[in-house]
Amino acid sequence: MAEPDKASKHVPSQEKLLLDYLQRLDEHRENRKIVHLHLSKLKPYNRREHHVQAAVNGFENLIQGMFGQLFTLKNNDIFFFFTDNATAQTETVVQKVRFLFSDDPMLEDEPPNENRFSTWYDAEDQYEEVLKLVQNIMKVEEASKSRQQTRMDARSALKTRQKEGDPMTPEILARVEAVLERADLSNLMRRQFVCGVDRQMIPEQSFSEMFISITDLRETLTPGTNLMSNRWLFQHLTEALDLRVLSLLLKSDAVAISGDISFNVNVATLLSKEFQDFDDNIAASKRGSMIIELQNVDVLSDLGAFLFAREYVQDKGYRVCLDGLSYETMPMMDRERLGVDLIKLMWNPAMVDGGPDMHKNMRAMVKKAGPSRVIMCRVDNREAIDFGQSIGIGLFQGHFVESLIAEDNRRRELLRLKRRMERSEEEAEEEEGL
Amino acid sequence: MSEETLLLNRLRALEDDSNGYYVVLFHTSQLRPANRKKHYLDIAARAFDNLLSNFEATLYKMSSLDFVLMCHEVPVEEMDPVIHKVRQLFSEDPLTDSEDGSINDKFTTWYDLSQIGDFSTFVEKANVLAVEAAEQKRREDEIRSPNALPGERLGPKTAGEISQKLQSVMIEDLIREQTAVVMLPGAKGDVMFREQYVSMSDLQKRVAPNVNLFGSQWLFQFLTETVDRRLLSVLAARDLSNLADSISLNLNISTVLGREFQYFHQKVGEGTNKVIIELQMVDIFADMAAYKNARDLLQNNGYRVLIDGLSPLALQFFDPAMLEADLVKISWGQEFEAEGEEGRTDDMRTVVKSVGAENIILGRTDSEDAIVWALSLGINRFQGYYIDTVVEAMVVKGII
Repeated sequence: MAEPDKASKHVPSQEKLLLDYLQRLDEHRENRKIVHLHLSKLKPYNRREHHVQAAVNGFENLIQGMFGQLFTLKNNDIFFFFTDNATAQTETVVQKVRFLFSDDPMLEDEPPNENRFSTWYDAEDQYEEVLKLVQNIMKVEEASKSRQQTRMDARSALKTRQKEGDPMTPEILARVEAVLERADLSNLMRRQFVCGVDRQMIPEQSFSEMFISITDLRETLTPGTNLMSNRWLFQHLTEALDLRVLSLLLKSDAVAISGDISFNVNVATLLSKEFQDFDDNIAASKRGSMIIELQNVDVLSDLGAFLFAREYVQDKGYRVCLDGLSYETMPMMDRERLGVDLIKLMWNPAMVDGGPDMHKNMRAMVKKAGPSRVIMCRVDNREAIDFGQSIGIGLFQGHFVESLIAEDNRRRELLRLKRRMERSEEEAEEEEGL
Repeated sequence: MSEETLLLNRLRALEDDSNGYYVVLFHTSQLRPANRKKHYLDIAARAFDNLLSNFEATLYKMSSLDFVLMCHEVPVEEMDPVIHKVRQLFSEDPLTDSEDGSINDKFTTWYDLSQIGDFSTFVEKANVLAVEAAEQKRREDEIRSPNALPGERLGPKTAGEISQKLQSVMIEDLIREQTAVVMLPGAKGDVMFREQYVSMSDLQKRVAPNVNLFGSQWLFQFLTETVDRRLLSVLAARDLSNLADSISLNLNISTVLGREFQYFHQKVGEGTNKVIIELQMVDIFADMAAYKNARDLLQNNGYRVLIDGLSPLALQFFDPAMLEADLVKISWGQEFEAEGEEGRTDDMRTVVKSVGAENIILGRTDSEDAIVWALSLGINRFQGYYIDTVVEAMVVKGII
């Protein structure tokens, strides 16, 4: 398939040209103005190629008359630089262009004292502001370009195989499921804590998730096979795993675990006889300390079944957590409407590069969902916690959190030792004093 | 003995003295098909457990999937929380929309058996249920005739065998076409695109007549990946550079990012603006990054991207506009037309506003009512069985 970006590798992008132009403008700021048209905020169906072209055409006369210079960015935003004496004309053109999009919800719902369509700058005293804005737009653009390609051509398939093992096949799945029915998985059961983390990076345990480690399962059952290489087959495997998890949880040691625990199952499992048996064998008082985690994809594959199952288990006293949200899917899921108690957002370093607009949106989403109801998971470094806290998240889970707990335990241990030493010193002193 | 017979016997025994007896009939057979599943109702029936063990009450589960709860001297206020619980389980179903005990309550009916009128009305009802149950049993027995093997459950092993067969089985003759149209004023219409798809039920007959392919959702999805590749290779062999009408294909995202699509793309050549690729919601949400890659790849090369698999229920929870596709297909459902369902039509109104009416296709259009409803919201693009007959008529009249 033709690479759409191939051509642009040789021709500098509009973003690059805009930045160059801005840097040159630094010396000639006087009598220059800039207008930024926010076409990127329009609905996608209103910013197809011909729409943007129509907007650009509006400026044609001004450009030909050497009154200004125009840049169209990849996100469809337009920057127009013009000289003072063309202000009135530019205003008329912008008004006309705006009219093209007047039925877009952005403009239809615009409050009278707000201008969502365009922002106007005076180069003389707002130069730095515009420079920063453009640099930011470029950063977001770069980040999205570097987004990992998931092409599955022969080359990348080979690369994946070398790195992650042979792909999963239905035959392997059948074998694994057969083994699962008999194998004792209790030594593959893992526990990971969900913690509140304060500014000093001190963790406070909220509850712990019990799960079967897929990596260890793979090492035990099918070394060299990537169990997750096919999404649908993996999803089927999780249904078989669910039943094992339920029976493991019923074993006294797992249920006797102190504190609240969570576990991941499929919606179909909640509606199965096995879950009813599990539920019958759980002390009623224990249900309140259990959180059932459901995967985003599973929930979506049959919303009706999810709503039914959620109602059923919540009524029994379990809490429900929606797992597997990414920063891309989170804006589309309304916690309150879905009726779940908690949601889990997967950490992804790309969130940091998302730009101020995205950060603002995420902060608003966390606030809406309720800060004590959002957990950032797969936290593997400090950056994740810093970022999470910056958008209002208070609960975290992942390898880095585990290391914080270990560190905290060491710290407490040291503190205890220190106290003991101090006490024995005191005692020694007292004895001496006698 | 069937539950219906047990109920009738019980009623007969009460003929002389029915003092203190009443019945609550749950019309659970009227739930939407998606909710009217035996294992759902078994779960719902457990809501009665406490009541049955603490009071003199009997639950009869009718073959119709209705519940009959017969009570003797059970305080009415003990019933309320139980009914509420069952209602809650089906709170998304239009059947439970009306308030408990209100004039519009379609969920339960109460019969005070100590009143002669109520008693005879209910006996009549119980008889009807018994006749229906017998009828249903007869039909089921017929289906289970010695020649028809029950559908085998689709397990991973079978899925593997089927997937092998799919690589080589002939599918050209199983490719079907369904047309989406734009309705224009003055009883006119235009073809929007013709969806090309492999008839899965015919395919099942060919590769696995005894297996229920739809029995396992994930394994079915897995099989569609192979079907995708076969469909692409068959279509690639056709002349795609000069299509009269646009076509659409429903594909997995993994297929779009795979080798067969690359080959297909080369065959399409300059004609990409006549090809629409339909992607499923569940596939999109499984890996949003893969979706964005696929969408950008398609759009940058001139294809249009359509989001498929949106139910009326889904609209309550997401705004498809955020996916930035070109088109959105929403399935028609009775929820949209049900009385007092203003809320659900409002969901659609919101979507029309955020996606744009001209980018929405009403799928599974099965009636004139659906068309009228959609047109009132500004939607004039349709697909579905009813549309197929409309298209036929238009072809006959030479409109299309």
